[in-house]
Amino acid sequence: MDIPYTVTARPDTGLYNAKVGIWLFLASEVMLFGGLFSAYIFLRVGADYHWPIHELNVQLGFINTVVLIASSVTVVMAWAFLKLRKFGMYQLMMAITVGCAAIFMVNKTLEYKAKFEHYSVKLTDGTILTGHLEHGYFVHFKDVNKLTLNVHLETAAIDADPVDYVLPYIEGEAPKFKTEAGDEIELNAASFAKLRSEAIDAMRKENENKQFQRDWTGTRNIVLTPVAPFKLKLPASSFFSYSDTNATFRDGTIAEGKLEDDRMTLDVDGIDVRSVADAEKSMAWEPDYLPAFKPVFIATRDHHQSEFKEKYPSRDPSKSATLQTESYFLKIHSANAEENMPGHEGAHSAEAQEPKEASGHEVTEAGGHAGGHHPVVVLKKKDISFFSNFTPKLNTYYAIYFTLTGLHGLHVVFGALVLLYFLVFNGKMMREDPEHLANRVEVGGLFWHFVDLVWIFLFPLLYLL
Amino acid sequence: MADNLEEIQKSVKKYLVIGGLLLLFTVITVWLSYVELPTHGMNIMVGMIVAAFKASLVALIFMHLNHEKKIIYKVLLFTVILVSVLFVLFYMTHGDPLVFEGFDKTSIKHH
Amino acid sequence: MSAAATTHDHGSDHAHDHDHHDIGFWRKYIFSTDHKVIGIQYGLSGLVFLLCGFMLMLLMRWSIAYPGQPVPGLDLLNHLPILGPIVHEMMGRFAPDGVINGEMYNMLGAMHGTIMVFFGIVPLGFAAFGNFVMPLQIGTIDMAFPKLNMMSFWFFFLSGVLMMVSFFVGTGAVQTGWTMYSPLASTLNHSVKNVFMHGHTVWLTAMVFNISASLLGSVNFITTAINLRAKGLTWFKLPFFCWAMFVTSFLLLLAFPPLEVAAILQLVDRVFGASFFLPTGLVEGGQALDISGGGSPILYQHLFWFLAHPEVYVLILPAFAILTDVIPNNARRPLWGYKAMVYSVLTLGFLSFLVWAHHMYLTGMGTMMSTYFQITTVLISVPSVILLTSLMISLWGGSIRFNSQMLFASAFLPMFGIGGLTGLPLAFNFIDLALHDTYYVIGHFHYVVAPGTIFALFAGVYHWYPKMTGRFMSDRLGKLHFWPSLLGMNMVFLPMFVQGMGGFHRRWYDGGKAFEQTSSATHWFSEFCSSFFGLFGIHVEPTLMGLNVVMTLGAVILAIGQIPFIINVFISIKGGKKITNDNPWDATTLEWATPTPPPHGNFTFEPVAQRGPYEYSVPGAPTDFTPQWVDEPGSTTPAVATETAKAHH
Repeated sequence: MDIPYTVTARPDTGLYNAKVGIWLFLASEVMLFGGLFSAYIFLRVGADYHWPIHELNVQLGFINTVVLIASSVTVVMAWAFLKLRKFGMYQLMMAITVGCAAIFMVNKTLEYKAKFEHYSVKLTDGTILTGHLEHGYFVHFKDVNKLTLNVHLETAAIDADPVDYVLPYIEGEAPKFKTEAGDEIELNAASFAKLRSEAIDAMRKENENKQFQRDWTGTRNIVLTPVAPFKLKLPASSFFSYSDTNATFRDGTIAEGKLEDDRMTLDVDGIDVRSVADAEKSMAWEPDYLPAFKPVFIATRDHHQSEFKEKYPSRDPSKSATLQTESYFLKIHSANAEENMPGHEGAHSAEAQEPKEASGHEVTEAGGHAGGHHPVVVLKKKDISFFSNFTPKLNTYYAIYFTLTGLHGLHVVFGALVLLYFLVFNGKMMREDPEHLANRVEVGGLFWHFVDLVWIFLFPLLYLL
Repeated sequence: MADNLEEIQKSVKKYLVIGGLLLLFTVITVWLSYVELPTHGMNIMVGMIVAAFKASLVALIFMHLNHEKKIIYKVLLFTVILVSVLFVLFYMTHGDPLVFEGFDKTSIKHH
Repeated sequence: MSAAATTHDHGSDHAHDHDHHDIGFWRKYIFSTDHKVIGIQYGLSGLVFLLCGFMLMLLMRWSIAYPGQPVPGLDLLNHLPILGPIVHEMMGRFAPDGVINGEMYNMLGAMHGTIMVFFGIVPLGFAAFGNFVMPLQIGTIDMAFPKLNMMSFWFFFLSGVLMMVSFFVGTGAVQTGWTMYSPLASTLNHSVKNVFMHGHTVWLTAMVFNISASLLGSVNFITTAINLRAKGLTWFKLPFFCWAMFVTSFLLLLAFPPLEVAAILQLVDRVFGASFFLPTGLVEGGQALDISGGGSPILYQHLFWFLAHPEVYVLILPAFAILTDVIPNNARRPLWGYKAMVYSVLTLGFLSFLVWAHHMYLTGMGTMMSTYFQITTVLISVPSVILLTSLMISLWGGSIRFNSQMLFASAFLPMFGIGGLTGLPLAFNFIDLALHDTYYVIGHFHYVVAPGTIFALFAGVYHWYPKMTGRFMSDRLGKLHFWPSLLGMNMVFLPMFVQGMGGFHRRWYDGGKAFEQTSSATHWFSEFCSSFFGLFGIHVEPTLMGLNVVMTLGAVILAIGQIPFIINVFISIKGGKKITNDNPWDATTLEWATPTPPPHGNFTFEPVAQRGPYEYSVPGAPTDFTPQWVDEPGSTTPAVATETAKAHH
């Protein structure tokens, strides 16, 4: 009992089942990417910052476009060769297609990796410094002498869990703690569970005679005093907030001590002052930071502005997004300010057009010392309003960039796996029922073309415009 | 349908030509994006027109939409209408915001 | 392959299975690719989820009517074998003393909506009945892609399990309503360390699976309808059931992707800290969040409602589909205005994509947008009214058989009418501003889906049960099911309109106890209820708050009313009255041409459709029904495929 029209077309519709199916699926895919693209438009129209233009690695994007187009050609040729029963050529074309998919994904991985290692720091006046955090960013506390754990009666989203949330960030050996009862304990899962259940029992006892739940005691603090003060080294993801005297961890635990150091050491490779009202007064030029680059900035800006005026005398320079980027987003390719002057080193500055993420390893070699590849600044915490690496967190542009290209990448992987399956496991079908396999390849090919089609829009929207 | 073999034989060459065209237009897109048009909006517009042209080449030739069956066109037409609804109406939310500028300030002053 | 097909001997049910009994239990009943088994799998899991959603509702109703008091009977429940530990774990963590607090109530509310919509009604109405009935009605041996069909069910099953599991992960289930509005849904408890073990993340993951299941199903349905129709079954000989399923499939196919986008973007917001739906400068608990901002909560609502409005029609169209089989069959009259109904349902399907933002009047999305959506919303009521009216006129002049399915079907008409008409005022911006998120809205859409769709689903169960099992369901138990259900439904939902216009908000877990004004507000209806229930010795406050007690009472009646149904479904498998022929209801559509229960491959002959699907009481015909497949009226011989018939199709 076979389902009709799996190989031959139904006379009145002229279609075999899988072809109807794949077009319906593609229609749904059109809606999926349509939704994402309209989200892109919505976010771009509503963006309250300068939407990045030419900020991604255009070369890599271009190579990927070429690769995908080539694979689109080969997959349709594979179908044609199969129809013509030229099996050798068919297999070759399919292999090239899958190979192209692999190249595409390798490029994508390189691109993503560079982004993850690159940071952007927004200062309180709107100045943005981009660069690398060679040694990460940590907040250091010393002389920590008290931990306050907040235990809830009922399950709550944020409940004390010092073993997972606090202990990992203690520098050196974790000391022993004294409880309120005066016992000396080692803080671990077992001892905390005991403390926790004691606290809950105490709360239950308190609540015994209260009729209404709203009058109940819902939370209780457990205070632990370390035998000897200890030090904390906190990455940004480990705490909610902190002040000079305490830090609140993500599980609600509060550590009391002295803030030792919360400065950020950044290897700067770009200064973006587009959002600063008076670019010449940006915090970036403050004596502690990068005063040496102020003349470079002014020279670069004036250079581009006058060039623009020469070329397009009738246009308003403030309305050109490209000019804004060129003149107010200073790319730094050498720690020596002189070398960054416009026209200093033709080849070098052309290279600086591209973001420098791809050359992350060079930075590592320079070690962030003055005179190396990039200048190093030590930023005070009070001056930083937001920082993130180039991930979805940074801004809505990177959020939609990663979502769109990530989903597209999943489609590439899925499509390539299907085509690879046809190539590897359908050899018997190729010899015995090539028409059926041709249908499969056509359907797989249709999906593959759609993936290419999406990229045709993604490339200009994200990389170029 | 391009099911007769002779036509398919010919189309192999056609696919290569279209592939070449697509590459050419990719280069043009990149080049155009660096050209400073009067507004950046025009850059986007031009870029999208080229992209739409490339996309239609892929859809028409590679995906054989130049000779497909009626029912598939119907499905796609419906889909295209809905996608444009998604684009236009979302966009309109920005185009027509309901702005609240506080209660009538002048009347407050008078009292 | 002759008369035996219609007057089939039931002593030899297994004879049909002779070439399949070797496929083994697992392939036959669990990982089956047979559309009928998958339909029944969907049906059973849909019913289980419906029951789960219903239980959550009972807990909510208790909290509303008796805030601060422990749920009665929990101790008893805890002693049950499997359910006990589950309930204990769920309640024990969030409401150890049995009192439902605000957090717990929010979880129940969000999960009630999600489960009912995505795991109860859609799987039952669309997937179960669609899978079981549609391929039979179009006279094919199976769906176009049987393996994808199986995958669809197991994706759905997985998503259902994930959804239930979300009650038991770290922070419990989602608490932000079934709509999951950002920014609250993006930021609530997002500081927990393991973001994947959070109810909301699990919800989003489950929805991704659910959406995939729907997409696979709808691709399958449409392809089957386009490419596998029997010989002679032209588009306008297709039963309306198939048309409705066809349109529903398109709604699922094209409306779900934007929800998937919303779910993905929200997932990225939660897991990677992005700001798709978070505006600049968002402050939570007095502290600025560590986010970039720049996103828009309105974007989420657009994407969500782009699905969720067509979803409303996904809920209601299968109901219409079932009724267009049940009503003509039991009124013994052709469906009135078949063509008008087909065009209406196509128009409805298309328009349903253009009305979504009437859920968003309160966002201040713009006056032009509001105007546009008010117009389309009023427009869409036209095809809906045509559908309902056609069904009502189909009753005219019929000799109606009031069996269980017809009772549910005839109750559907006024109930859906109430639901539909109370929706009209909500289409207008200025009324919606006052009624938004009040119980009025709850009453409106529950009238549409609860005594509306769910009644139609019950009708469908009673109608096709004989085809699935070869036995009737008990009509007496059916009536015992129907009357309490009708009473209970109206007791729960009618007072909501009164409360809603009194300003009662849908998210109050204490039913308004916290507000002085609501406690003292009265209305003639609440006073009437008070004195009416006083006659039975039940104390009901004469205030709007008192109506909460009435509604909770109604919910209990409704719950008790479902017991006969559950009993009926199970005992009738073995104990129901046996059917005497393959077409026990004297119906006309092709599913009744198959042996009972239909074997793998369905038909014993190649069905050829000779005529339209609703040939009841045709003047001059010897019987009051002429099936689509017989060669001439009154005959029981199936028509044979001829060249003319082939040319026709």
